[in-house]
Amino acid sequence: MIRRLFQYPWRSHAVIRSDVDDELRFHLDSRQQALMATGLSVDAARARAIREFGDIDEARRYMQHVDNDIETNRRRKDYVRDVMYDLKYALRSLRVSPTFTIVAVLTLAIGIGANTAVFSVVHGVLRQPLPFPNPERLVRVWSANRSGDSPKASVSAVDLDDWRAQRRQFEDIGGWEFASGASGLDLTGSGQPQRVSTAFVSPGFFTTLGVGALHGRLPYESEMVRGGDDRVVVLSFPYWQRNFGASTTVLNTTLILRGEPYRVVGVMPPNFRFPSPSVEIYVPFSTIPDQSIPRIRPVRIMGVVARLKPNVTLDQARAEMNVITGRLAAQYPENATWTHATVLPLHEAITGSVQNALLVLFAAVTGVLLMACVNVASLVLTRASAREREIGVRVALGATRGRILRQLVTESMVLALAGGVLGIGVAVVGTRVLLALSAGQLPLSEAVGVNPTVLLFALGASLFAGILFGAAPALRASSTNLQGALRAGGRTSTGASTRLRSALVIAQVAFAVVLAVGAGLTTRSFNALLHVDPGFTPDHLLAVNFTINTDRHGDTAWKQYYSDVITRVRAVPGVTSAGAAQYAPFKGMGERNALVPVGYVARPGEEPPAFPTQRISDAYFRTIGTRILSGREFLPTDRGNAPPVVVVNEAYAKAFFPGQNAVGKELTVGGSGRLTIVGVVGDIRQSDVAEAPGPLLYVSNLQNGRVKVTLVCRTVADPLTMTRSIRDAIWSVDRDQPITSIFTFNDIMQETLARPRLVTVLFAAFGVLGLTLGALGIYGVLAFLVTQRRREIGVRIALGANARRVYAMIMRHGVGMAIAGLVIGISAALALSRFVQSLLFGIPATDPYSYAGVVLLFLFVATLAGLLPARRAMRVDPVIAMQQE
Amino acid sequence: MRQPMDLLQGTLDVLILRTLVWGPMHGYAVSRWIRDRTEDTLQIEDAPLYKALHRLEKAEWVTAQWGLSENNRRARFYRLTPAGRKQLKAEEAAWRSYAKAVFQVLEPA
Repeated sequence: MIRRLFQYPWRSHAVIRSDVDDELRFHLDSRQQALMATGLSVDAARARAIREFGDIDEARRYMQHVDNDIETNRRRKDYVRDVMYDLKYALRSLRVSPTFTIVAVLTLAIGIGANTAVFSVVHGVLRQPLPFPNPERLVRVWSANRSGDSPKASVSAVDLDDWRAQRRQFEDIGGWEFASGASGLDLTGSGQPQRVSTAFVSPGFFTTLGVGALHGRLPYESEMVRGGDDRVVVLSFPYWQRNFGASTTVLNTTLILRGEPYRVVGVMPPNFRFPSPSVEIYVPFSTIPDQSIPRIRPVRIMGVVARLKPNVTLDQARAEMNVITGRLAAQYPENATWTHATVLPLHEAITGSVQNALLVLFAAVTGVLLMACVNVASLVLTRASAREREIGVRVALGATRGRILRQLVTESMVLALAGGVLGIGVAVVGTRVLLALSAGQLPLSEAVGVNPTVLLFALGASLFAGILFGAAPALRASSTNLQGALRAGGRTSTGASTRLRSALVIAQVAFAVVLAVGAGLTTRSFNALLHVDPGFTPDHLLAVNFTINTDRHGDTAWKQYYSDVITRVRAVPGVTSAGAAQYAPFKGMGERNALVPVGYVARPGEEPPAFPTQRISDAYFRTIGTRILSGREFLPTDRGNAPPVVVVNEAYAKAFFPGQNAVGKELTVGGSGRLTIVGVVGDIRQSDVAEAPGPLLYVSNLQNGRVKVTLVCRTVADPLTMTRSIRDAIWSVDRDQPITSIFTFNDIMQETLARPRLVTVLFAAFGVLGLTLGALGIYGVLAFLVTQRRREIGVRIALGANARRVYAMIMRHGVGMAIAGLVIGISAALALSRFVQSLLFGIPATDPYSYAGVVLLFLFVATLAGLLPARRAMRVDPVIAMQQE
Repeated sequence: MRQPMDLLQGTLDVLILRTLVWGPMHGYAVSRWIRDRTEDTLQIEDAPLYKALHRLEKAEWVTAQWGLSENNRRARFYRLTPAGRKQLKAEEAAWRSYAKAVFQVLEPA
């Protein structure tokens, strides 16, 4: 600052021009006079001086040019020096108040770091293009029925062939059959029998996605159809690495899958994770035998992806798909109700489920950053008030308003960037924590990482924060009334400053209230989820998943094998009960069957209702702890030649036999074949713990069997300790039986609760953070108030004011701010509530308990935050307070 | 045989720096000082001299400041900077060794 006063003023172009002219004129005049002294005439002397000089015009231009350069350089240097000076000054003044600096930098680091971490997830999942060529032209296609209640149904393999044959606006269409943890083939002939997670893909699957093989080749079209040489397999990159040591010698060798030789033709690149990262091999859909999946239109099991031709719009694609499906519906009676198709961009189809949650999260974390900014702004304001005198002195010494402003902005930027650098560290850790918390629930999570875009975002967030929390204090401080500041010893404009700070704190409390309401709602929702009765007792239940090979055990004899395995497992010491179902709860619904009471007539034009049907063994319900409401569950005698029987759940009984006993009633599929209801059982939440159970049917696996088996055992001890003996019991029947997976029922409860738990943990974290920041804000403004008004308080006390009234005055201010913040925050939360409704279970987004809890909590916290400053105010010694002036 | 030599590139810079060793001078004084000592040998025009002065200022070997001349007129005075002094020493040494080499060729011992 001082140096600046003694510096030469900057020279303009005009000044430089006239300076150069002056210099040249002085030279010529001096020379002319010297020559005249030797006796030359005026004119002759002038002429000679000019001649001796040489090219004056060229010299003048050159000198001006060089001088302009010099001036530019000087200005640049001045600028750099000023910046360096500002930086040095900023660092020094921050060092002088370490508490302020640490609190401010940490607050910013948390705000920026949390924001950056969430951004890295949002960016990776929602913004990164899919790893396919021209991904914007890829769409997912589903069958949709006329009534619109099933808009995203899987597609039948027969329909898919027709779609592909009739396409015009699509470059290609492909389909796959894959259910994570369920679709697989048994690999034998090389060591332990192994279940390989398999995607069964149609011709067109690879060509639609447009990704080639990393090694080898993709199957030819002729290798993916019936009658072709379709025993070929393509390996996923991780499977190839894990099982074949990333060696290309595996190409053209054979793997024994389901007892048949398959030729390995190719390996996919590492970023090819479609339709799921858990796919290990790709095998033509044509290899699935008809007895497993009949090739008829009602069997809808395929996912479909299609690639639009260039310049074809989504609307055109939709129109074409509706024309094709409409045509098929008219042509085939079994398709009569499947008149439409749903077409969505592939990216949206993949990320749609998490998009809302991520955006809500991003909004929340932006709120935290804003709060952090408000808090730091409040801190900076306190400092600015304390520094009014210092600034006044500098203004008196000749610093301009702009100069002071720049100094303060530099200080803010230093704080913001320090917060940003630390924040990147927070973000790296935070991103990792987020990914760990959301494992298995976040599609495309492999694209998430702290990359240059994310770093750029962190920088942007820091600068944004710096401007935000630096602007208001800087503008206020730089307009400091010099005279007043010097005279009053830095006690001016207290009222205005307190008002601004109070406004900031109110804004902050409002933000915190919104976050806390979110935390309250998600916590209550999660609590509701925890107390849902899933319809079974998950403790001490172990499940073993496997598929029976009918080639090995015979088309009918496999049921005996099935019974033998269950019997053998029941005999294991420590197993109190065992049974089996097709799918464990939350792991699959079972095929839908149009099983309705005899005599039931669907309304005209309406498709007959169909219900998920599980194939189970005897003693299944007893094993998993489901109540039998009336009748009985299956017995070992409910086998092939016995009368066909069915068990229904409560929801089914209520829907079709309200007020009656369903046991003994008969069900039928389209009038042919009758099954007698032998029991009604309590509702099991089969699809998701958060989803209310609908009608479900159970048939005996010995009567109408499926080869996918989930064996469930109730154990005395910790079920995981029983894994080995139960597996050995299975292998004692067939030592080549591959096991797909083993898990406990508590595992699947945890899995299904993972997402709501994640949401709850995140909201709770934000809520606590918000509450802490809000409390700090209230405390800060009250502490400041007490310091600023020390003298006034002293006078009041000296004049005989009751200590309690002083106490109440401070408290009133704090609680007043909290109430104002609560009013704004609650209104905002109510306005935003419809956005969180989809995240909630069992409570409305306007849940009064959550809101009331937040109000009480904030009033309590505001009181707590006011306690210390209010007590300090009460103890102000009037003598000391007045002497301080 | 007494043809005035063309000024070698950079020579003028050295001469100016050397001249300013005596103290701050305005352009005219520098010009006179160099002319007085080299009139017979070197033919120096004033244009390149002024250009050199400004160039040296840009190189920060000299600084310029307005002052009053002997006859009380506003004149631009040039002053050697420490960097300029260092540069002069380096150039002088280079010149001496150059001249020595040339003489060794011209006057074989």
